[in-house]
Amino acid sequence: MIDHKAIPVSVLTGFLGSGKTTILGHLLRQPEFSRTAVIINEFGEIGLDHELIEASEDSLIELTTGCLCCKVRTDLAQTLQDLLRRRDEGTCSPFDRIVIETSGLADPAPILQTLMTDLALADRLVLGSVATTVDTLNGADTLEREDVSQKQVAVADRIVLTKLDLAGAAKPTLLARLASLNPGAPVLSADHGRIGSRDLFETGLYDPSTKSIDVNGWLADEGHGHSRSPHHADIEACAVVRVRPIRAIALTLFLETLAEHCGADLLRLKGIVNIAESPDRPVVIHGVQHVFHAPAWLECWPSDDRRSRIVVIARRVPRRWVEVLLDAIGAEVDSVSGGG
Amino acid sequence: MSSAPNHLVGDLLAESLTAWRVKGDVARADDGGLIIRSNAKFIRVDPAPSGSMFRWMVTIDGLQRGAISLIAVLRQTRAAIDPGYAPNRVRVTVAPLVPP
Repeated sequence: MIDHKAIPVSVLTGFLGSGKTTILGHLLRQPEFSRTAVIINEFGEIGLDHELIEASEDSLIELTTGCLCCKVRTDLAQTLQDLLRRRDEGTCSPFDRIVIETSGLADPAPILQTLMTDLALADRLVLGSVATTVDTLNGADTLEREDVSQKQVAVADRIVLTKLDLAGAAKPTLLARLASLNPGAPVLSADHGRIGSRDLFETGLYDPSTKSIDVNGWLADEGHGHSRSPHHADIEACAVVRVRPIRAIALTLFLETLAEHCGADLLRLKGIVNIAESPDRPVVIHGVQHVFHAPAWLECWPSDDRRSRIVVIARRVPRRWVEVLLDAIGAEVDSVSGGG
Repeated sequence: MSSAPNHLVGDLLAESLTAWRVKGDVARADDGGLIIRSNAKFIRVDPAPSGSMFRWMVTIDGLQRGAISLIAVLRQTRAAIDPGYAPNRVRVTVAPLVPP
């Protein structure tokens, strides 16, 4: 279960020069963004981004050097622990949420995994939303060229187009590319860095305003499958929807098999599942590569829609295989259990 | 011993070859067994006989082994035909299995 006192940690990622720091600088000047601790990660010996941000007094900026995804187990975890300690001691400005701006070269997966699995942090923090900036001018080329850019888009809960003033409207090819990588993530626009913090960060699994799990917002429009793009078939998202409840052990075996056979190609998985043994309380699952967050049991269904919906974002993993795997494991578990 | 419906198992094996990016094909033998030909390997998958502790029997190039579940069938099959396979064993327990 998610601790209702847990502090949401959101991640702002995006490739080099895609406008992350501009957006953060704007957000930090907004009253509703006060009581936010910010961790800025830059790649290189000397960080500059923190100098470029004019923060309000209530904001706290931490700087780590080196790329978070490379040193994540120590640097990020240690920084977060220090932040929590200072909060407990009252030696820093109080904060109710944390935002991490990753370096432009960072693979977001290890960062998300650390947030989900570090035992020292697990009972204090909860992963919020992931926002990814995409430069409208250069984004399409970057996505073609840089694998890490694709991963940054693939794990996003929100995609933010930047530099529209330079590029004009986003080209259909860019939008199609984003949709093929992550069809469920809404695509927003930032005007010279201006974008609402609620639009950006209060859309994750954990809603800090209601202190509840915002499943509908989290899964957004991902209730249906998406066809494979013939031109960009490397990373794609697929949604598996099942009306019939799934036995808990079948779900466990399904997740383990996905992780076992996909390895690092499994970028992100999230879902709400109707568990046969718990028809009135669905479970929310959330994984990044082979690391899975502790499942969160909801008190009740968030809507009348009681179907299981599992979104898998992966590299070169056929949708059909995911579907048949779930069905075959479910059928075998049913046969063992004497059902179905 | 029966398990998942046979057509699902055949589909799963065929789709698994695609997922693993391994060339090959899956066919059904006259007696219902599933035949996989891939990377010069000949693999046959049959339901285990009644009373067996296994659910499936997997025969690879004439050597037969039991498999306790479909997941084990997949593991044995891939290990035989995908030389680059490095299983990423993890435990993803949906624990507790029911809400506290």
